[in-house]
Amino acid sequence: MKIDRRLLKNFDWVTLALIVLLSVTGIMTIYSATRPPLPGGEMPSFYIKQLYWLFVSVFALIAIVSFDYVWLKRFSYGFYAIGLFLLLAVLFLGRTGMGAQRWLNFGIFSFQPSEIFKLLYVIAISCYLSEMHGRVGLFSLLKAFFLLAFAPVVLVIKQPDLGTAVILLLVFLSLMAAKGLQKKLIALILLIGLVSIPFLGNIFWEGLKDYQKNRLVAFLEPQVDPAGIGYHINQSKVAIGSGSFIGKGYLKGTQGPFRFLPEKHTDFIFAVFAEEWGFTGSMFLLFLYLSLILRGIDTARKAKDEFGGLLASGVSFMFTIYFFINIGMTLGIMPVVGVPLPFMSYGGTSLLANFVAAGVLINVRMRRFELFY
Amino acid sequence: MRKRAIILNTVIGFGFFIVLLRLVDIMVLNHARLCERAKMQQLKGEEVQVRRGTIFDRHGRKLAVNLELESLFCDPSEITSAEKSAYVLSEITGKPSKAIFTKLNSRGHFVWLERKVAPDVARKIKETKIKGIGFVPDAKRFYPEGSLASHVLGFVDIDNKGIEGVELKYHDSLSTSGGKFVLNRDASGKTLSQGVNMESRGNNLVLTIDEGLQYMVETELDSVMEKWRAAAAAIIMMDPFTGDILALADRPSFNPNVIAGSRDFERRNRAITDCYEPGSTFKIVIGTAALEEKIVSLHSTFDCSRGSIEIGRRVVHDAHRHGVLTFEEVIQKSSNVGSIMVGMKLGKERIYRYAKALGFGEKTGIDLPGEVPGLIRPPERWSGVSIGSVPIGQEVAVTPLQVLRAYAAVANGGFLVTPHVVSRIVSPGGRTTWTFMSEKKRVLSQKTAETFKDILKTVTEDGGTAKGAAVNGNYVAGKTGTAQMIDPRTRRYSKEKYVSSFVGFVPADNPKMAMIVVIYEPKGQTYGGVVAAPAFRQIAEKALSYLDVPRKEGRKEMLVSAQ
Repeated sequence: MKIDRRLLKNFDWVTLALIVLLSVTGIMTIYSATRPPLPGGEMPSFYIKQLYWLFVSVFALIAIVSFDYVWLKRFSYGFYAIGLFLLLAVLFLGRTGMGAQRWLNFGIFSFQPSEIFKLLYVIAISCYLSEMHGRVGLFSLLKAFFLLAFAPVVLVIKQPDLGTAVILLLVFLSLMAAKGLQKKLIALILLIGLVSIPFLGNIFWEGLKDYQKNRLVAFLEPQVDPAGIGYHINQSKVAIGSGSFIGKGYLKGTQGPFRFLPEKHTDFIFAVFAEEWGFTGSMFLLFLYLSLILRGIDTARKAKDEFGGLLASGVSFMFTIYFFINIGMTLGIMPVVGVPLPFMSYGGTSLLANFVAAGVLINVRMRRFELFY
Repeated sequence: MRKRAIILNTVIGFGFFIVLLRLVDIMVLNHARLCERAKMQQLKGEEVQVRRGTIFDRHGRKLAVNLELESLFCDPSEITSAEKSAYVLSEITGKPSKAIFTKLNSRGHFVWLERKVAPDVARKIKETKIKGIGFVPDAKRFYPEGSLASHVLGFVDIDNKGIEGVELKYHDSLSTSGGKFVLNRDASGKTLSQGVNMESRGNNLVLTIDEGLQYMVETELDSVMEKWRAAAAAIIMMDPFTGDILALADRPSFNPNVIAGSRDFERRNRAITDCYEPGSTFKIVIGTAALEEKIVSLHSTFDCSRGSIEIGRRVVHDAHRHGVLTFEEVIQKSSNVGSIMVGMKLGKERIYRYAKALGFGEKTGIDLPGEVPGLIRPPERWSGVSIGSVPIGQEVAVTPLQVLRAYAAVANGGFLVTPHVVSRIVSPGGRTTWTFMSEKKRVLSQKTAETFKDILKTVTEDGGTAKGAAVNGNYVAGKTGTAQMIDPRTRRYSKEKYVSSFVGFVPADNPKMAMIVVIYEPKGQTYGGVVAAPAFRQIAEKALSYLDVPRKEGRKEMLVSAQ
């Protein structure tokens, strides 16, 4: 494949730099979070594995940007079908971890199909919407929902992975909004929203598993049982609060390595980071994420076609939603749902999927000046 | 498209703003509180085995020290083969392997396997290199002189907590500044560091006890116990001016190094915790009261020729028949009849008042645990025969220490002192942090004290009841006491069981020591002058030499000529 010089010139180095910076910070933080509490202790290999995955992810990103994203349109429904199949497979063949069946084991490595699926899902919806004319009405919204969102949401809830299910729904709705909703539909959604608020809680509550209910209770009143269900939130706050303004310094944090903070290298990695780098470091990290998101939205606005725009929006929304749910949970302003922090949390599939997603963003941006062939 | 992007960016910006606010809230506003929580949960306190302070006698001789031993513990979570380890440990320590196995298999991270292991056993255990067991330094209290002064010193338990005596009374000082020793821990409570091994030492105590005098007292007690086949005995020696207890010993006794082998009655500090009816030594009350109230002079006479006196239905006899006695002779010869006559002249109110003034019926305030106040009934509760009992030391319950303190008041010119065994508390660095401040209360006039002292001097001379207490070259002032014990079965005075005592001070005119000898249930002889007085002399002779008290040659010659 020959690479156009103009493509190279237009390559989105900023996005790449942002995600590599975030990932390296992530690996450093994973190293710190999982280091043995006593000198001379055994160092777990999490950070090495994550480093390998980072290399794999960078190559995957290069592969993604090397061809025009328009090609994705052609395979979008096929990819979607494969993704759906993997979600189904995980229900029957999956490895159970922490009370939920989320992983598929391939001997040397295991991965979470739902992580991969999110991107395929964004591509499929973008493709579907780009072929639709005009704004989204009620009927087309419902049709799209049952065609593309219903099945995966149900499958993911079955795992059960409530966090991802919520994210799938939010991504769906935000993509619909990006396409543009009819005024009547906006009004209807607002109305339904207002009316159903009193009932929503109840319906929602009944459908939850016990541990999910506990997490909500813990979120609402973390002090009820500090060593029990509210433990995650309290320990996370303790870690972040210990950070103070300038932080304890890299490898000086204690909450992670001393195992007070659960999920320290995965979902609660921000707490470990904040303890060591303090308020200033956290501000910088927030700045990196904000830049990444705003750049993605800018890419969406500048895309050469609607498909590209929707694709960039979808990916940006996904990053945004993940970021807010994770940080919100870590800071105790949202319920604990097991959602990783994009690019930083330990987890190979997630890193790979996010790099591929970022690759799509870069792809859209670098080809924004191209005309249709 | 543009409008939507602006809305979107606003929403996202708002989200970041909320996150920012929350970060400020947690990291800046609540920083201190959360930081404190982090610290709290990462630290765990562990009781430090404080090195108890050393207990010295008044001349700096060590009476209680620490032996540096080690204690064996295990962390059950790190034991790999409990069965094998239990067997190996059992072979070395001689403890049943089943018990060790149970401990190795228990929950938690810290279980004592054996406290205070002997050094050679500890060395063998270390050589086995069993995983999950370890030693911590652990001091064992050791009393180099064995049972010497054991009732003063007391003893400690396995955790070096004071249980009796000075060890109990001054536990906080001896183990001060110890408290907790801080370790880092992880979420499961596992210790992550050895922490700071703070060498923590308690304060040292300097006693008023003089090891040399204590030894003399202990030796004499042993021979008295043997000679009279007595049930029990107690001797206290005190500086009459300061209240310093120079020696205090009881029989039966115990060895604080092997506390498990001792029995309750052996650990009892009779000198302060047991009451007895004092008998004639209590005549100090009516004697001093009569002088103080000027009811009698030395030469007032009392007709004791009948040898008995009737009080209500009770007839009180004298041990020997006397004729008409002067007041001085009443005390010297310990006439019950004469004493009761003096008592009747005084009346019960004044007897009670002077008894209280001399410290009877109240704790002396000595710094040893378990002291009892004794009993002296207030006048309104006296029966018709009480006036025939109280003056001669019946119907009252006193401790040997109370009697000694009353005589010390005569010895020192009329002051009631506070007996005490600890003179100073010294920090590990050698700084004196506390000194006993003597409080004196005048209870007798100088004149009364001097006059009564002169009477007491005659007790150990020809015609007195306690010639056996006389010492070569120095005047001894004192008083004998022979009291029948109440038989618990008949609730009457026993015909066989007596408490024989002698209390006095020497040299009479410049007393270096006051001492009481109390012998419970001597066999064969019962009179205080026969049983207790010689013990007084034996100790006093040696003690005066030990204290380098000069002998007056004239006195010696006089005694020699008298013999």
